[in-house]
Amino acid sequence: MRIEIKREGGPAYFPGLARPRAVDLTSLPPEQAEALRHSVQAARFFELPPVVGTPAPGAADARRFTLTVEEEGRRHTVQFIEPVEEPRLHDLLEQVTKAERAQRRGARPGTPG
Amino acid sequence: MFHPTRHRHSIHCILPPYLARSIAQNGSSEQRERALRTLSTDSTFRALRLAGSRTTPSTLVTRPRAMMVESALHRTIYDLRNSEAFPGTPVRFEGQAATEDIAVTEAYDGLGDTFNFFWEIFGRNSIDGDGMPLQAFVHYGKNYDNAFWDGRRMVFGDGDGDLFNRFTICPDIIAHELAHGVTEDEGPLWYFRQAGALNESMSDVFGSLVRQMKLQQKADAADWLIGKGLFTGNVEGVALRSMKNPGTAFDDDVLGKDPQPGHMKDYVRTWEDNGGVHINSGIPNRAFYLVASQLGGYAWERAGRIWYDAIRDSHIKPDMGFLDFARITMMSAMRLYGAGEEADAVRDAWEQVGIRVPKPGIGIPSFVGAVTRPSTQAGRAPRA
Repeated sequence: MRIEIKREGGPAYFPGLARPRAVDLTSLPPEQAEALRHSVQAARFFELPPVVGTPAPGAADARRFTLTVEEEGRRHTVQFIEPVEEPRLHDLLEQVTKAERAQRRGARPGTPG
Repeated sequence: MFHPTRHRHSIHCILPPYLARSIAQNGSSEQRERALRTLSTDSTFRALRLAGSRTTPSTLVTRPRAMMVESALHRTIYDLRNSEAFPGTPVRFEGQAATEDIAVTEAYDGLGDTFNFFWEIFGRNSIDGDGMPLQAFVHYGKNYDNAFWDGRRMVFGDGDGDLFNRFTICPDIIAHELAHGVTEDEGPLWYFRQAGALNESMSDVFGSLVRQMKLQQKADAADWLIGKGLFTGNVEGVALRSMKNPGTAFDDDVLGKDPQPGHMKDYVRTWEDNGGVHINSGIPNRAFYLVASQLGGYAWERAGRIWYDAIRDSHIKPDMGFLDFARITMMSAMRLYGAGEEADAVRDAWEQVGIRVPKPGIGIPSFVGAVTRPSTQAGRAPRA
């Protein structure tokens, strides 16, 4: 399974977060990688529409995440606009952002993972 | 100049009791003058806007509305305890003592700073101009990297601790978010392309002014940064944005480089970020900074008033671009101060960011310039 994430919105535009970045499942602790795989399945990711959620009227600075998952020859991209309240989709986003953070910490010299 | 025997002009009778008390108790004569000047011009332009652009000022009727009521700051801070389930637990009501939770304290103070700024400087009673109670929710979600106004309430995440600190840490971010509520109420400005960048810029302008007022900084002493202190030590950067030097706030391995332009020649055409709302806002941000620096003194006094008057102008359109907005700021400067250094500063500032505003008189409705200058009103103000 291959997962890519890009992130927009929030308080500013960060080019580094807005470009698609791969989440490397092999670099994660096995339990975390498994939890992430499980979240993708539980969210029925490949059946989701291209856009999930609508920003509240009058809301500014809402975040949006674009996830792309590749698995067994399939590839699907979904944009999530906050707030994402459906528990399984919420869990998926939380797992992906957590994995991304762990990966970043691991890559930073002198920082314990 | 005092005329104690003459009947007071109705415009000076609308001073809210709260402010009148505060001024009587604490104000110097200069502060009294300034407050009266601010309030009288505010009601004039509120009335102008209500009356529509074709009405001549001589037929104006002062509309007291919210000005007659006592301003009241009603804050409630809720603790979501790292869930996203509203409403959480109320932990501090208006007037209660601080708790040990720094996020609660910062949110409470930030709402107060913003409310007081809009009230004291512009006579605006809360976000909607009608005394809306302010609610903030802290500790939203886990490691949540954002703060937002959702149309009726403020929500703050704790940050992930890796890139971002807690989002209550910057008073200018709190004010930025609340100012989105003001723009929504006054504009609105669609959150897309140039209109969206103007929307973002209004929030940065008021966000920065709230912080400058809190610190009592004049334009040349302010750093003009938005979100200073939000990044953790892991990030190479000082803030989210710089209004003075757009594009210089951060340059980091993970976040990338601050993408903001400060001139139309570097305008970014993109589908990302709602058409670049947080990117191209650097252009109007810098224009505001240039006006404020040119005029000197406290930026909220003249530059801020011109911008606030502009966002409340009846010519504001939800899909307007930078040039239209620049014209409106020119009209506001003329209306407030007549042809003079203020209007010149506004025109020069827009020109310096690559936006040429036509000479005054062209395309400006007839009521402009007919209104008494606020400074002359102020000379008569402290009668009573």
